[in-house]
Amino acid sequence: MSSEMTTQPQYYHDEIVKRLVQFSVAWAVLAMAAGVFVAAELLWPTLDMGQPWLSFGRLRPLHTNGIIFGFGVSALMATAFYSVQRTSHVPLFAPKLAWFLCYAWQLLVLSGGLSLLAGMNTTKEYAELEWPFDIAIALLWVSFGIVFFGTISRRKIRPIYISNWFYGALIIVIAMLHIVNNLELPVTWTKSYSLYAGAQDAIVQWWYGHNAVGFLLTGGFLGMLYYFLPKHAGRPIWSYKLSVVAFWAFTYSYIWAGPHHLHYNAIPEWVQSLGMVMSLVLLAPSWATLINGVMTVSSAWEKLKTDPALKFIVLSLAFYGLATFEGPMMAIRSVNVVSHFTDWTIGHVHSGALGWNAMITYGTFYYLMPRLVGTELYSKRLANVHFWLALAGTMLYIIAMWAAGVSQGLLWLSLDETGELAFGFRDIMSSMAPYYGLRLLAGLIFLGGTLLMAYNFYMTTRSRKTVKVEPPVVDPAFGVV
Amino acid sequence: MEEKISRYLLFRTLYEPKITFEVLAETDPSAWRVFSSYSVWLLLLPPLFSWIGAYNFGWRLGASEPLVLTPATLTLISIAYFLTLLFGFYSTAVISRWMASTYGASSSFGRHVALITIVGQPLALASVAHLFPNVFFNVVVMIPVMIWSMYLLYTGIPVALQTPPERGMLMASSLVGWLLVAAVSLLGLTMGLWAAGFGPALGV
Repeated sequence: MSSEMTTQPQYYHDEIVKRLVQFSVAWAVLAMAAGVFVAAELLWPTLDMGQPWLSFGRLRPLHTNGIIFGFGVSALMATAFYSVQRTSHVPLFAPKLAWFLCYAWQLLVLSGGLSLLAGMNTTKEYAELEWPFDIAIALLWVSFGIVFFGTISRRKIRPIYISNWFYGALIIVIAMLHIVNNLELPVTWTKSYSLYAGAQDAIVQWWYGHNAVGFLLTGGFLGMLYYFLPKHAGRPIWSYKLSVVAFWAFTYSYIWAGPHHLHYNAIPEWVQSLGMVMSLVLLAPSWATLINGVMTVSSAWEKLKTDPALKFIVLSLAFYGLATFEGPMMAIRSVNVVSHFTDWTIGHVHSGALGWNAMITYGTFYYLMPRLVGTELYSKRLANVHFWLALAGTMLYIIAMWAAGVSQGLLWLSLDETGELAFGFRDIMSSMAPYYGLRLLAGLIFLGGTLLMAYNFYMTTRSRKTVKVEPPVVDPAFGVV
Repeated sequence: MEEKISRYLLFRTLYEPKITFEVLAETDPSAWRVFSSYSVWLLLLPPLFSWIGAYNFGWRLGASEPLVLTPATLTLISIAYFLTLLFGFYSTAVISRWMASTYGASSSFGRHVALITIVGQPLALASVAHLFPNVFFNVVVMIPVMIWSMYLLYTGIPVALQTPPERGMLMASSLVGWLLVAAVSLLGLTMGLWAAGFGPALGV
């Protein structure tokens, strides 16, 4: 270990972290509000008031992109920057680039969102943004990588903690997926065509789509879990070895699972079967992490008394368990034949997005925000109310979509006595209205909780400066030689 | 003591759940006695109500005419429903006792069986909604009842199984995790059976 003495104290760059958290919360509110609005449109289609930019087709990608790239990625950048500094015992590498990334990313999400409202759309799910935005995303993502890996390369502590492996995988794999899936021929500034065609295009698209779920919404957030859960609980991770094994098993098996989105489509049957089998294999590393998380928090139960944030993390683990079990099950072809093209899929996505992603992020933010400004949370009571609203909203959403999905699955495929399909699309969809009403209510409840959190953070951080934290001295036994 | 708990089980738990949990904490009932006197009768209600409702009105999914099935098919479905509930009940009690050592809770199996009975009782009684077998109506009735059952689970574990509230909260969340997985497995299994040719005629 080098024992060099610096004349000027160095501090962690936590101001960037705070700003990214604030942006993330703002996007959560906006994108969830868009979700609530499109949910209402499914009940009352004339809500679009004849305006194309208010139509379901344009607002729905705004909702998904706003949540994934606005809320999700901002949260991942914030938590990655916070934890990589502390696990490397050095301030961020290239802080100016990190600041640039912080604001440029928000500008990108905002302008990308507006382009979706204007009708620019590649028609690839979760990759709807047109080619100028694709290039900007790639460049900014590389900046993310430079800041993150630059910090790790300057670390003062020898081991690279497990959360950094997950964040690292997020950065590398998302870059690969994004670039390969978005190879396209620009025709005008606002229109391009994919380099792939037909079934090939579909396979590449779902290789991207499923691994975006895998490495961003699962892997990235597991990075968050592995750093903040032990910190929060004040206990080391239950089994570090298990976390490393789970990481490699997760990384290896996830990448194959994409074709389960294309069951019974015009792709080779063996590709479908491979996708199905690898999806089932995926259950093992997913639940290894679940067990690790549950056992870590189980030994820190005293903390729950004083810490409303830990409750969010506990519950996020329950929903992580559900979503990572439900996914492989829905990838089984004989289940998928009924569940595909039903609202069960939407319910599954939201058990992950609301129950896992949003809850782990909320728990982490409740931990971070007071610490970043060196104070107590403005209101623990509001945080507790938020917890119950989040739980109620998620449960209501999932159950409504389960019931709608099973009914739809049955109705889509029902045959009459002549062997023809018994019901038309319109009949089935109009019978779904009551479930969509429940879903709208669920969305409003969840959004209400998020607004309470935003208010709580505003009151916690207003007119307070970010605390300056110096990296601690590294134990020579673990220092970089 | 066992007589005391038997006075509370069934109806009194509905309006005095906290007292029932406290009484349960002081006793060590026989698992078989609780099951044979209370749990099994509650588990019989949903299949019974669904048989009567489906026989008289047929299941309404929304878009279609009521789905009317023959009494023989209905009996088969009700038996399968009962066996599934039985499996769900027993496995939850076993898992609950298995988790008890991790969360420092009582390991008395009788108490776990009684607790799961109390938690599931509102759901069993609310299955009276099956008498009108409209899917949406049943969802609307069951959701608030399910929230009440979850409330009973979260408040009941620390008191009845004598563990600190925080550990009880963790144990309840773990059980909720198991129940969610069990519920979704049931959906998957049902769809798998449909695809395999059991149940309604589907074009798969």
